[in-house]
Amino acid sequence: MDLSPFEADNSVSCRLASQIPDVCRTEDCCLGVDEAGRGPVLGPMVYGICFCPVSQKEELKALKVADSKTLTEAERENLFQKLEEAKSYVGWALQILSPNVISTSMLQRTKYNLNALSHDTAIGLVQFALDSGVQVKEVYVDTVGPAEKYEEKLSQHFPGVQVTVRPKADSLFPIVSAASICAKVARDHAVEGWKFPEDLGEMDGAYGSGYPNDPKTKAWLLKYLDPVFGFPQFVRFSWSTAQTQLDSKAAPVHWDDDEEDGERAAQRHKNRSMLSYFSSSAEGGKSRQDHRFFSDRRLRSLSSL
Amino acid sequence: MSCNTSVTHLDVTSLGQVKQAQVHLMPCEIEYNGPARVSEYFTSTTKDRKQEKTVSFRGRGLKGQEISCPQGYTGLVLKEINKHGSDQEDRTVRVSSVFNKLTYWNLETPPTSDDTVVMAMDWPELADAVS
Repeated sequence: MDLSPFEADNSVSCRLASQIPDVCRTEDCCLGVDEAGRGPVLGPMVYGICFCPVSQKEELKALKVADSKTLTEAERENLFQKLEEAKSYVGWALQILSPNVISTSMLQRTKYNLNALSHDTAIGLVQFALDSGVQVKEVYVDTVGPAEKYEEKLSQHFPGVQVTVRPKADSLFPIVSAASICAKVARDHAVEGWKFPEDLGEMDGAYGSGYPNDPKTKAWLLKYLDPVFGFPQFVRFSWSTAQTQLDSKAAPVHWDDDEEDGERAAQRHKNRSMLSYFSSSAEGGKSRQDHRFFSDRRLRSLSSL
Repeated sequence: MSCNTSVTHLDVTSLGQVKQAQVHLMPCEIEYNGPARVSEYFTSTTKDRKQEKTVSFRGRGLKGQEISCPQGYTGLVLKEINKHGSDQEDRTVRVSSVFNKLTYWNLETPPTSDDTVVMAMDWPELADAVS
Protein backbone atom coordinates (compact mmCIF):
# COMPACT_ATOMS: atom_id res chain seq x y z
CA MET A 1 0.00 0.00 0.00
CA ASP A 2 1.45 3.31 -1.08
CA LEU A 3 0.94 5.99 1.54
CA SER A 4 3.20 8.60 -0.04
CA PRO A 5 0.41 11.16 -0.60
CA PHE A 6 -0.24 11.09 3.15
CA GLU A 7 3.42 10.96 4.08
CA ALA A 8 4.03 14.11 2.03
CA ASP A 9 2.02 15.99 4.66
CA ASN A 10 1.01 13.93 7.67
CA SER A 11 -0.59 16.88 9.46
CA VAL A 12 -3.76 16.80 7.37
CA SER A 13 -6.47 14.43 6.21
CA CYS A 14 -5.76 12.39 3.11
CA ARG A 15 -7.83 10.21 0.78
CA LEU A 16 -6.37 7.21 -1.00
CA ALA A 17 -8.29 5.02 -3.39
CA SER A 18 -7.89 2.06 -5.69
CA GLN A 19 -8.97 2.12 -9.31
CA ILE A 20 -12.73 1.82 -9.61
CA PRO A 21 -13.47 -1.59 -11.20
CA ASP A 22 -15.54 -1.13 -14.37
CA VAL A 23 -18.05 -3.72 -13.23
CA CYS A 24 -18.81 -1.59 -10.14
CA ARG A 25 -20.10 1.20 -12.39
CA THR A 26 -22.56 -1.05 -14.17
CA GLU A 27 -23.72 -3.55 -11.56
CA ASP A 28 -25.44 -3.09 -8.21
CA CYS A 29 -22.79 -3.05 -5.50
CA CYS A 30 -22.47 -3.65 -1.79
CA LEU A 31 -20.15 -1.43 0.22
CA GLY A 32 -18.60 -1.97 3.66
CA VAL A 33 -17.34 0.73 6.05
CA ASP A 34 -14.97 0.25 8.97
CA GLU A 35 -12.33 2.14 10.88
CA ALA A 36 -8.94 1.41 12.41
CA GLY A 37 -7.08 3.18 15.18
CA ARG A 38 -9.95 4.84 17.01
CA GLY A 39 -8.66 4.17 20.53
CA PRO A 40 -4.92 4.89 20.45
CA VAL A 41 -3.48 8.17 21.71
CA LEU A 42 -0.88 7.99 18.92
CA GLY A 43 -1.07 8.14 15.17
CA PRO A 44 -3.86 8.56 12.64
CA MET A 45 -7.33 7.09 12.56
CA VAL A 46 -8.16 5.46 9.25
CA TYR A 47 -11.59 5.03 7.71
CA GLY A 48 -11.97 2.46 4.97
CA ILE A 49 -14.59 1.44 2.46
CA CYS A 50 -14.54 -1.60 0.23
CA PHE A 51 -17.05 -2.39 -2.51
CA CYS A 52 -17.89 -5.10 -5.03
CA PRO A 53 -20.89 -6.19 -7.12
CA VAL A 54 -23.65 -7.82 -5.06
CA SER A 55 -23.44 -10.74 -7.50
CA GLN A 56 -19.82 -11.36 -6.50
CA LYS A 57 -20.25 -11.45 -2.72
CA GLU A 58 -19.52 -15.17 -2.68
CA GLU A 59 -16.26 -14.71 -4.54
CA LEU A 60 -15.21 -12.13 -1.99
CA LYS A 61 -16.16 -14.52 0.81
CA ALA A 62 -13.97 -17.19 -0.85
CA LEU A 63 -10.96 -14.90 -0.32
CA LYS A 64 -11.52 -15.65 3.38
CA VAL A 65 -11.41 -12.06 4.53
CA ALA A 66 -12.10 -11.88 8.24
CA ASP A 67 -12.30 -9.24 10.94
CA SER A 68 -8.91 -7.54 10.88
CA LYS A 69 -8.60 -7.65 14.67
CA THR A 70 -8.55 -11.46 14.68
CA LEU A 71 -5.65 -11.50 12.21
CA THR A 72 -1.93 -11.03 12.58
CA GLU A 73 -0.26 -8.19 10.74
CA ALA A 74 1.20 -10.65 8.22
CA GLU A 75 -2.21 -12.19 7.58
CA ARG A 76 -3.71 -8.75 7.02
CA GLU A 77 -0.98 -7.85 4.54
CA ASN A 78 -1.60 -11.12 2.77
CA LEU A 79 -5.35 -10.52 2.55
CA PHE A 80 -4.86 -6.97 1.36
CA GLN A 81 -2.68 -8.42 -1.40
CA LYS A 82 -5.53 -10.77 -2.32
CA LEU A 83 -7.94 -7.83 -2.49
CA GLU A 84 -5.50 -6.07 -4.80
CA GLU A 85 -5.41 -9.18 -7.00
CA ALA A 86 -9.23 -9.10 -7.10
CA LYS A 87 -9.19 -5.52 -8.38
CA SER A 88 -11.28 -6.48 -11.41
CA TYR A 89 -14.31 -6.51 -9.10
CA VAL A 90 -13.17 -5.16 -5.68
CA GLY A 91 -12.41 -1.51 -5.07
CA TRP A 92 -11.47 0.39 -1.91
CA ALA A 93 -10.96 3.92 -0.61
CA LEU A 94 -9.46 5.26 2.59
CA GLN A 95 -9.56 8.47 4.55
CA ILE A 96 -6.56 8.93 6.80
CA LEU A 97 -7.26 11.38 9.60
CA SER A 98 -3.94 12.56 10.97
CA PRO A 99 -3.55 12.86 14.74
CA ASN A 100 -3.20 16.61 14.17
CA VAL A 101 -6.62 16.72 12.48
CA ILE A 102 -8.10 14.70 15.35
CA SER A 103 -6.56 17.01 18.00
CA THR A 104 -7.46 20.28 16.31
CA SER A 105 -11.01 19.09 15.50
CA MET A 106 -11.80 17.83 18.97
CA LEU A 107 -10.21 20.90 20.60
CA GLN A 108 -11.81 23.36 18.18
CA ARG A 109 -13.61 26.46 19.51
CA THR A 110 -16.88 24.85 18.45
CA LYS A 111 -16.14 21.32 19.59
CA TYR A 112 -16.21 18.64 16.91
CA ASN A 113 -16.36 15.33 18.70
CA LEU A 114 -14.90 12.07 17.52
CA ASN A 115 -18.31 10.54 16.73
CA ALA A 116 -19.32 13.43 14.51
CA LEU A 117 -15.90 13.36 12.85
CA SER A 118 -16.22 9.59 12.30
CA HIS A 119 -19.74 9.84 10.87
CA ASP A 120 -18.81 12.67 8.53
CA THR A 121 -15.75 10.78 7.34
CA ALA A 122 -17.81 7.64 6.64
CA ILE A 123 -20.43 9.69 4.79
CA GLY A 124 -17.67 11.38 2.80
CA LEU A 125 -16.28 8.04 1.68
CA VAL A 126 -19.67 6.62 0.62
CA GLN A 127 -20.31 9.85 -1.26
CA PHE A 128 -16.92 9.49 -2.92
CA ALA A 129 -17.88 6.00 -4.15
CA LEU A 130 -21.20 7.33 -5.48
CA ASP A 131 -19.49 10.28 -7.15
CA SER A 132 -17.04 7.88 -8.76
CA GLY A 133 -19.95 6.08 -10.39
CA VAL A 134 -20.11 3.02 -8.14
CA GLN A 135 -23.69 1.68 -8.19
CA VAL A 136 -23.99 1.49 -4.41
CA LYS A 137 -27.18 -0.29 -3.35
CA GLU A 138 -26.25 -1.86 0.01
CA VAL A 139 -24.07 -0.28 2.69
CA TYR A 140 -22.83 -2.17 5.76
CA VAL A 141 -21.25 -0.23 8.59
CA ASP A 142 -19.42 -1.26 11.73
CA THR A 143 -20.13 0.97 14.69
CA VAL A 144 -19.08 1.45 18.29
CA GLY A 145 -21.96 3.76 19.20
CA PRO A 146 -25.72 3.21 19.11
CA ALA A 147 -26.48 1.56 15.75
CA GLU A 148 -30.12 2.63 15.19
CA LYS A 149 -29.53 6.38 15.19
CA TYR A 150 -26.50 6.08 12.96
CA GLU A 151 -28.39 3.81 10.57
CA GLU A 152 -31.19 6.38 10.37
CA LYS A 153 -28.72 9.21 9.73
CA LEU A 154 -27.02 7.30 6.91
CA SER A 155 -30.32 6.16 5.35
CA GLN A 156 -31.53 9.75 5.24
CA HIS A 157 -28.27 10.82 3.71
CA PHE A 158 -28.31 8.18 1.00
CA PRO A 159 -31.89 7.65 -0.16
CA GLY A 160 -32.28 4.55 -2.29
CA VAL A 161 -29.43 2.80 -0.52
CA GLN A 162 -30.15 0.03 1.95
CA VAL A 163 -28.06 0.81 5.04
CA THR A 164 -27.23 -1.73 7.73
CA VAL A 165 -25.33 -0.54 10.80
CA ARG A 166 -24.25 -3.25 13.24
CA PRO A 167 -21.82 -3.56 16.08
CA LYS A 168 -19.15 -6.08 15.05
CA ALA A 169 -20.23 -5.81 11.41
CA ASP A 170 -16.60 -6.54 10.54
CA SER A 171 -17.11 -10.16 11.60
CA LEU A 172 -20.60 -10.47 10.08
CA PHE A 173 -20.20 -9.13 6.55
CA PRO A 174 -17.18 -10.00 4.36
CA ILE A 175 -17.33 -6.60 2.61
CA VAL A 176 -16.92 -4.91 6.02
CA SER A 177 -14.08 -7.31 6.90
CA ALA A 178 -12.43 -6.28 3.64
CA ALA A 179 -12.84 -2.61 4.53
CA SER A 180 -11.40 -3.23 8.00
CA ILE A 181 -8.36 -4.93 6.48
CA CYS A 182 -7.69 -1.98 4.15
CA ALA A 183 -8.07 0.47 7.04
CA LYS A 184 -5.91 -1.51 9.44
CA VAL A 185 -3.13 -2.08 6.92
CA ALA A 186 -3.04 1.66 6.21
CA ARG A 187 -3.03 2.51 9.92
CA ASP A 188 -0.18 0.03 10.57
CA HIS A 189 1.89 1.43 7.71
CA ALA A 190 1.21 5.02 8.71
CA VAL A 191 2.33 4.39 12.29
CA GLU A 192 5.39 2.29 11.40
CA GLY A 193 6.55 4.71 8.75
CA TRP A 194 5.68 7.86 10.69
CA LYS A 195 8.06 10.67 9.78
CA PHE A 196 8.13 13.17 12.59
CA PRO A 197 7.81 16.63 11.06
CA GLU A 198 9.42 18.01 14.21
CA ASP A 199 13.16 18.42 14.20
CA LEU A 200 13.87 16.15 17.15
CA GLY A 201 16.66 13.97 15.77
CA GLU A 202 16.57 10.21 16.15
CA MET A 203 13.24 9.21 17.69
CA ASP A 204 12.68 6.31 20.02
CA GLY A 205 10.30 3.95 18.24
CA ALA A 206 9.33 2.03 21.36
CA TYR A 207 5.90 3.56 21.80
CA GLY A 208 4.14 0.23 22.21
CA SER A 209 0.61 -0.27 20.93
CA GLY A 210 -0.32 3.39 21.16
CA TYR A 211 -3.22 2.51 23.46
CA PRO A 212 -3.48 4.77 26.49
CA ASN A 213 -3.24 1.90 28.99
CA ASP A 214 -0.05 0.48 27.50
CA PRO A 215 2.84 1.28 29.92
CA LYS A 216 5.25 1.56 26.97
CA THR A 217 3.01 4.17 25.35
CA LYS A 218 2.79 6.12 28.61
CA ALA A 219 6.55 6.01 29.10
CA TRP A 220 7.12 7.17 25.53
CA LEU A 221 4.75 10.11 26.03
CA LEU A 222 6.60 11.17 29.17
CA LYS A 223 9.93 10.91 27.42
CA TYR A 224 8.86 13.26 24.65
CA LEU A 225 6.90 15.69 26.76
CA ASP A 226 8.15 19.22 26.18
CA PRO A 227 7.32 21.83 28.84
CA VAL A 228 6.28 24.40 26.24
CA PHE A 229 5.06 22.57 23.14
CA GLY A 230 3.69 19.47 24.83
CA PHE A 231 4.10 16.63 22.37
CA PRO A 232 4.99 15.98 18.75
CA GLN A 233 2.03 16.02 16.34
CA PHE A 234 2.04 12.22 16.36
CA VAL A 235 0.15 12.49 19.66
CA ARG A 236 -3.57 13.15 19.94
CA PHE A 237 -3.63 16.09 22.34
CA SER A 238 -7.36 15.65 22.84
CA TRP A 239 -6.92 12.28 24.56
CA SER A 240 -7.21 12.42 28.33
CA THR A 241 -3.94 10.48 28.69
CA ALA A 242 -2.13 13.30 26.90
CA GLN A 243 -4.04 16.02 28.74
CA THR A 244 -3.31 14.48 32.14
CA GLN A 245 0.41 14.39 31.45
CA LEU A 246 0.36 17.97 30.19
CA ASP A 247 -1.58 19.16 33.23
CA SER A 248 0.98 17.72 35.60
CA LYS A 249 4.25 18.15 33.70
CA ALA A 250 4.00 21.01 31.19
CA ALA A 251 3.61 24.76 31.54
CA PRO A 252 -0.06 25.77 31.86
CA VAL A 253 -1.47 27.39 28.74
CA HIS A 254 -4.54 29.63 28.75
CA TRP A 255 -6.75 30.38 25.75
CA ASP A 256 -9.41 33.05 25.55
CA ASP A 257 -12.09 30.39 25.05
CA ASP A 258 -11.11 28.22 28.01
CA GLU A 259 -14.36 27.89 29.87
CA GLU A 260 -13.54 26.65 33.33
CA ASP A 261 -10.54 28.86 32.99
CA GLY A 262 -12.60 32.04 33.27
CA GLU A 263 -12.53 31.93 37.04
CA ARG A 264 -8.99 30.74 37.26
CA ALA A 265 -7.89 33.49 34.89
CA ALA A 266 -9.61 36.08 37.04
CA GLN A 267 -7.84 34.63 40.04
CA ARG A 268 -4.53 34.76 38.26
CA HIS A 269 -4.98 38.41 37.43
CA LYS A 270 -6.25 39.34 40.87
CA ASN A 271 -3.37 37.52 42.43
CA ARG A 272 -1.03 40.45 41.87
CA SER A 273 2.05 41.34 43.74
CA MET A 274 1.49 43.32 46.95
CA LEU A 275 3.79 45.96 45.49
CA SER A 276 1.33 46.74 42.74
CA TYR A 277 -0.95 48.39 45.31
CA PHE A 278 1.77 50.90 46.09
CA SER A 279 2.46 51.85 42.51
CA SER A 280 0.86 54.52 40.39
CA SER A 281 -2.85 54.94 40.82
CA ALA A 282 -3.32 55.20 37.07
CA GLU A 283 -2.34 51.57 36.77
CA GLY A 284 -4.59 50.29 39.50
CA GLY A 285 -7.62 52.52 39.20
CA LYS A 286 -7.30 53.39 35.55
CA SER A 287 -8.68 56.86 36.12
CA ARG A 288 -8.50 57.89 32.48
CA GLN A 289 -10.13 55.86 29.77
CA ASP A 290 -8.10 55.42 26.59
CA HIS A 291 -9.68 56.38 23.31
CA ARG A 292 -11.21 53.49 21.41
CA PHE A 293 -8.54 53.85 18.75
CA PHE A 294 -6.06 52.58 21.33
CA SER A 295 -8.19 49.98 23.09
CA ASP A 296 -9.19 48.43 19.74
CA ARG A 297 -5.51 48.00 19.00
CA ARG A 298 -4.59 47.00 22.53
CA LEU A 299 -2.18 49.90 22.63
CA ARG A 300 -1.27 51.36 26.01
CA SER A 301 1.24 53.95 26.97
CA LEU A 302 3.98 52.40 28.98
CA SER A 303 4.94 53.96 32.28
CA SER A 304 7.07 51.14 33.63
CA LEU A 305 8.42 47.79 32.58
CA MET B 1 1.54 60.10 40.89
CA SER B 2 3.81 57.22 41.52
CA CYS B 3 5.59 56.54 44.77
CA ASN B 4 7.97 54.37 42.78
CA THR B 5 10.96 56.62 42.22
CA SER B 6 13.22 54.13 40.47
CA VAL B 7 14.29 54.83 36.92
CA THR B 8 14.58 52.25 34.17
CA HIS B 9 17.56 52.70 31.89
CA LEU B 10 17.53 51.32 28.40
CA ASP B 11 21.00 50.31 27.34
CA VAL B 12 21.16 50.41 23.55
CA THR B 13 24.92 50.05 23.17
CA SER B 14 24.49 46.45 22.06
CA LEU B 15 21.99 47.42 19.36
CA GLY B 16 24.45 47.16 16.48
CA GLN B 17 25.79 43.76 17.49
CA VAL B 18 22.76 41.72 18.46
CA LYS B 19 21.14 39.15 16.21
CA GLN B 20 17.78 39.30 14.51
CA ALA B 21 15.22 37.30 16.44
CA GLN B 22 12.29 35.36 15.08
CA VAL B 23 9.29 36.59 17.01
CA HIS B 24 5.93 34.85 17.31
CA LEU B 25 2.91 36.49 18.88
CA MET B 26 0.73 33.69 20.27
CA PRO B 27 -3.04 33.82 20.89
CA CYS B 28 -2.66 32.26 24.31
CA GLU B 29 -0.91 32.78 27.59
CA ILE B 30 1.88 30.34 28.35
CA GLU B 31 2.89 30.30 31.99
CA TYR B 32 6.53 29.89 31.19
CA ASN B 33 9.61 32.05 30.96
CA GLY B 34 12.74 30.69 29.43
CA PRO B 35 14.18 29.03 26.37
CA ALA B 36 11.77 27.11 24.13
CA ARG B 37 12.46 24.68 21.32
CA VAL B 38 10.71 26.85 18.74
CA SER B 39 12.52 25.65 15.64
CA GLU B 40 12.33 21.98 16.66
CA TYR B 41 8.60 21.89 17.39
CA PHE B 42 7.02 24.94 15.87
CA THR B 43 8.86 26.30 12.83
CA SER B 44 9.48 22.81 11.48
CA THR B 45 5.76 22.01 11.49
CA THR B 46 4.54 25.36 10.15
CA LYS B 47 2.93 25.17 6.73
CA ASP B 48 2.94 28.10 4.33
CA ARG B 49 -0.33 28.05 2.46
CA LYS B 50 -1.38 30.78 0.06
CA GLN B 51 -2.25 33.83 2.14
CA GLU B 52 -1.73 32.25 5.54
CA LYS B 53 0.53 30.11 7.60
CA THR B 54 -0.88 27.22 9.60
CA VAL B 55 0.49 25.33 12.55
CA SER B 56 -0.85 23.76 15.72
CA PHE B 57 0.12 24.45 19.28
CA ARG B 58 -0.90 22.08 22.07
CA GLY B 59 -3.36 20.44 19.69
CA ARG B 60 -5.10 23.65 18.70
CA GLY B 61 -5.13 24.97 15.15
CA LEU B 62 -3.48 28.34 14.54
CA LYS B 63 -3.50 30.55 11.47
CA GLY B 64 -1.19 33.47 11.10
CA GLN B 65 0.87 35.72 8.94
CA GLU B 66 4.10 37.61 8.99
CA ILE B 67 3.93 41.38 9.35
CA SER B 68 6.62 44.03 9.26
CA CYS B 69 7.38 46.61 11.88
CA PRO B 70 6.24 50.08 10.82
CA GLN B 71 8.57 51.96 8.50
CA GLY B 72 11.46 53.41 10.41
CA TYR B 73 10.87 51.30 13.52
CA THR B 74 12.80 48.37 14.90
CA GLY B 75 11.44 45.82 17.33
CA LEU B 76 13.54 45.27 20.44
CA VAL B 77 13.72 42.26 22.70
CA LEU B 78 14.84 43.54 26.08
CA LYS B 79 16.44 41.70 28.92
CA GLU B 80 16.93 43.01 32.41
CA ILE B 81 20.44 42.83 33.75
CA ASN B 82 21.19 42.50 37.46
CA LYS B 83 17.60 41.89 38.38
CA HIS B 84 17.09 42.76 42.00
CA GLY B 85 14.31 42.72 44.49
CA SER B 86 13.96 46.31 45.55
CA ASP B 87 11.85 48.66 43.49
CA GLN B 88 13.75 51.63 44.89
CA GLU B 89 16.87 50.95 42.87
CA ASP B 90 17.28 51.94 39.26
CA ARG B 91 16.90 49.18 36.73
CA THR B 92 18.76 48.58 33.49
CA VAL B 93 17.48 46.67 30.51
CA ARG B 94 19.64 45.73 27.61
CA VAL B 95 18.73 44.96 23.99
CA SER B 96 19.19 41.20 23.57
CA SER B 97 17.94 40.95 19.99
CA VAL B 98 16.07 42.95 17.38
CA PHE B 99 13.36 42.21 14.84
CA ASN B 100 11.92 43.96 11.80
CA LYS B 101 9.08 41.52 11.25
CA LEU B 102 7.07 39.17 13.39
CA THR B 103 4.58 36.36 12.93
CA TYR B 104 1.31 36.67 14.76
CA TRP B 105 -1.11 33.78 15.22
CA ASN B 106 -4.88 33.63 15.57
CA LEU B 107 -6.73 30.74 17.14
CA GLU B 108 -8.40 29.08 14.14
CA THR B 109 -9.39 32.31 12.37
CA PRO B 110 -7.58 33.35 9.18
CA PRO B 111 -5.46 36.48 9.46
CA THR B 112 -7.06 39.67 8.17
CA SER B 113 -6.23 43.36 8.08
CA ASP B 114 -8.71 43.83 10.97
CA ASP B 115 -6.54 41.86 13.39
CA THR B 116 -5.54 43.91 16.41
CA VAL B 117 -1.81 43.75 15.86
CA VAL B 118 -2.11 44.69 12.18
CA MET B 119 -4.20 47.72 13.10
CA ALA B 120 -1.79 48.63 15.89
CA MET B 121 0.90 49.21 13.29
CA ASP B 122 -1.16 52.21 12.04
CA TRP B 123 -0.28 54.22 15.10
CA PRO B 124 3.24 55.45 14.28
CA GLU B 125 2.06 56.96 11.00
CA LEU B 126 -0.95 58.55 12.65
CA ALA B 127 1.23 59.81 15.51
CA ASP B 128 3.52 61.48 12.97
CA ALA B 129 0.55 63.14 11.34
CA VAL B 130 -0.85 64.59 14.56
CA SER B 131 2.41 65.54 16.23
